[in-house]
Order: sequence, then structure tokens, then C-alpha cells
Amino acid sequence: MSMRYLRFFIFPAFLLVAAAFIYAACDGDDGVPAFICSPPETGTAVEGVPELGDGVLQVGSDIAYPPLEFIIEGTETADGVDVDIARCLAEELGVSVEFLNTGFDGIEAALNTEEFDIVMSAMTITPERSAQIDFVPYLSVGVGILVEAGNPDGIQEVEDLCGLTVAVQLGTIQQDQLEDLNAGACADSNVNIVTFDTNPLAVEDLRTGGSDANFSDLPVAFLDAQQSGGELELVEPAPNPQPYGIGLRKASDALQASLEEAFQAIRDGGQYDDILARWELEFTALP
Amino acid sequence: MLAIRFDLDTVGDFLFDPIILEALRETLYIALLAMVLGIALGVILAVMRVSRNPLVSGMAGLYVWFWRATPVVLQLLLMYFGLRQLIENDFFRDNWTRWRAAVITFGLNEAAYMAEIARAGILSVESGQMDAAKSLGMTNLQAMRRVILPQALRVIVPPTGNEFVAMLKNTSVAFAIGVVELLNAAKIQAARNFRVMELYTVAAFWYLVVVSAFSVLQAELERRLAVGERERPETLLSRAMAVLGGRRGI
Repeated sequence: MSMRYLRFFIFPAFLLVAAAFIYAACDGDDGVPAFICSPPETGTAVEGVPELGDGVLQVGSDIAYPPLEFIIEGTETADGVDVDIARCLAEELGVSVEFLNTGFDGIEAALNTEEFDIVMSAMTITPERSAQIDFVPYLSVGVGILVEAGNPDGIQEVEDLCGLTVAVQLGTIQQDQLEDLNAGACADSNVNIVTFDTNPLAVEDLRTGGSDANFSDLPVAFLDAQQSGGELELVEPAPNPQPYGIGLRKASDALQASLEEAFQAIRDGGQYDDILARWELEFTALP
Repeated sequence: MLAIRFDLDTVGDFLFDPIILEALRETLYIALLAMVLGIALGVILAVMRVSRNPLVSGMAGLYVWFWRATPVVLQLLLMYFGLRQLIENDFFRDNWTRWRAAVITFGLNEAAYMAEIARAGILSVESGQMDAAKSLGMTNLQAMRRVILPQALRVIVPPTGNEFVAMLKNTSVAFAIGVVELLNAAKIQAARNFRVMELYTVAAFWYLVVVSAFSVLQAELERRLAVGERERPETLLSRAMAVLGGRRGI
């Protein structure tokens, strides 16, 4: 067989493999995702909450950010951490849930023009955004501090790094944050910042005792801890967490109150933990 | 317009910045100490290599083979991370610092090259000199120290200067194990203020200054070693002296 015909096979083979992966990712019978909660198909109006007067919680989201939110390939079904949480909140409130795919850029403006009731789109709460919309925090993501197993220096927060040696990758926001610390909170007892070309080398430096901690993105640090065979551990809860928030219009006071109540209920009821367990993101739980 | 302006003021700000000067000092320290270690060990290795005892010359050959056949970055990684991983002893780890690992690794690496240079120097001295020294009742070692090596220096010094210049620049790979020398200090600052070209210019300036200053010294050293040669090379210093105070025979 001539090489030039090979491409006719490579592409279908690739599709087949991709399909197998997608099928595996659905982790349920006949492609139904393993959602944690099942809100009603037809909801009932929630009294005193104008947004839920129609019995539907409309969620604006840029559904292309796995594992937070994504459309299951070949379907129109949204899945992800945010989707699971929204479904559980809706179930708690007794309303149905509807996802409206919206570009992330300008999503606050779309919320404010009442295109949907809330935003759930892996949105980090920032002062700039808080000036436009309100938030109900629901996940905690940010930087991760990796230390030797047992946390010998008792590091709990970023300020605890003062006076210690910290390995970090050159040019990362973590390098910036450490330099800022040295100009501020650690001015008296500087962090000894050791920079490396790659983060794995920085981790190696921690592993061989050259530094006291490694400072990187939370998911990266999480993975490193997992793969270290018990040699390293992630400082929990992650310091300086930047919470993701459910965005609401400033006028949606009643909706905010009922969402906060529903959120507390799914935390107490265990659904919140189940969701994070499903996505293996337990470490992003709110403290 | 998206072109980023080259900001001469930033270059000026960082040229004498304490962080940069400290890193320059680090570069000089590492290079000098490693060079001293490299020359000392290299001469010993060269003497071993010309030995008639196959075990002695074989050991030296093995050493040179290993340190010349692997990249110095790899040697640094093995010597620092590798040894620290292998020896989980607190005393060792406390004392086996990045800085020491860098100096010793560069020194051991340099020794391999110096061994070859010194061997060429020794072989450049006629074998009759050794016989003559021995006939005067000198032992092998005495003859080596008093007769052969002093003459070999004339061949050894010029390439050794080259080695030092190369060493000065090569210290920048110590970044692999987190040592902050000149180029790395510049990189770290640049990662923060995004003035990449400006900070690289600062680093380049200091390398040029240091290497130029060293070249002047090296030329002078070579001139002084050229005892008994028909034409002693002119150097910057000797010309300056001639202009200032008339020619003096040094």
C-alpha cells in the first residue's frame, strides 16, 4: 500500500480513538453524564424571587472551559463542575435549570441586560467585576504551596514563607508574588527566592531539600503532590485562594439570599463534596 | 504602534544595581575558585597521564573521558540534585550548597580540559631535559617540578587564559541548580519588569568589561613568561609603560 493512501486511514482511526475517549468520558450508560443532582424538568415558581417566577433558573456560561463547563461532544448537553453545582442548586430550589452559552467577554453586561438570571462560568471574583455585579463564592482556586510531607515548617499561608527558601519557576505570577512579599510582608525577613527554568526542576529542588517550599498554580501543585509518592504535600487549604463566584445582578437580593441558602444546603447535604469528588477537585472546596 | 522601545534609562538604572553587582561578584568568585581547582587538579592529572604506570595513567584517562564526554549542565544536575537525592544525610545536605556544588563541578570539569592542556605543555619540553635533570641526581618528581613544568608553562598559559574566559561565561549554566550569577540575575529582573533587552545589555556590558580587563592581564603574563625568546610580545601594558616612562626591561 502506498504511503499516500495512509491518510485515508489515519483520520478515521483518529476519530475512532477520540470517540472512544469521549464515550469513556461520559462515564454513564448510553452516554448520560453522571450528574450528581436531577432538578425537575418543569419547575415551580419560587415565591418572593422575581427571577424564578417562571420556575426556571437560567444560567449564562461560556461552555468551553473543561472541567468547569463544557458541551459533551456530539450532544447539546452541558457538563462540568459548574453545571453540576447549578443543577444541585436548582434541585434544592425546586426549579428547572437552563444553560445559555454566552461568550465570556461581556458576560457581565449580558447578565445586567437580563438575558439570564445568573452567571456560572469559572468566574474569579475581582474588585473590578464586583463593581458591576454581585457574587456568591462557591469554589476556591489559586496558587498552591508544595512542601515536604508533614509540612515541617508549618506553612499555612503565604506570609509563612518569610525567611524560608522557596523554589519557583522563572517568570510566573508566583515569582511576582514572592518579590511583592519581599517588598511588603516579608521586608524584615526576606523569602530566599530560587528560580528555575521549569517548574519540575523547582519541585526537584524541594524534593532534595534545597528549598523549603515550591510555589505554583494550585492544580499543578496538586498534581505534583499526587505524583510524588507521598514525599510532598500540598498546603491545605490553599493560601490566597481566589474564589470563583456565581454572578448576580446587583438588584437580585432575594435571588442571592435563596442561592446562598441553597448552596449551604448542598454543602450540608453532601452534594457539594460529591461533585468535587466526581471531578477530583476536592482541594478547591471552599474552606 | 506595538514596537517596544529600547529604554536606555533602564540600562543605566540596572548597570550599577546592587543585585546585578552582587551577581557579578558571584560570577567572578565561582569562575576564579573553579579555575584554581581546575588548574591544580588538571596539572596532577597531566602528570598522572604521562606516567609509565598504566594504572595511574589509566585512572587519569578515565577521569578526563568522563568529564569531557558529558555536558556541564548535566554534570551540575547530577552533582547537585543527584548527590542530594543519593545522600539523604542532613549534614551533607546542609553543606552541599548550590554554590559549592557549582564551584566544585566547574572545577572538576575544568580539570579534565586543563589536564589535556598541561599534558601538551609537558610533552612540548624535550625529553632530553628530563634525562639531564635525572643525571644531576633529581628524582622524577623533582625534575618535573623544577625543570619540566616551568618550561611547560609557556605552552600552558595561553590556552589556560582562554579556558578562564570560557569559564566566566559558562558559569551562567549554574542557573540549572538555582545559582544566581550575572546572566541569571538579569533574567530574573527581566521576568519581572519585561525589560528583557535592556537587562541582557547590562549583563553583556559586564561580561565585556571583565573579559577585557582579564585579557590585558593575560597578555602581560604571557610577555613575562616569554623569557629567552627572541621577540617578547608587546602588550597594552608594556606599550603604556614605554610611553609613560621609557622602556624598561622587565
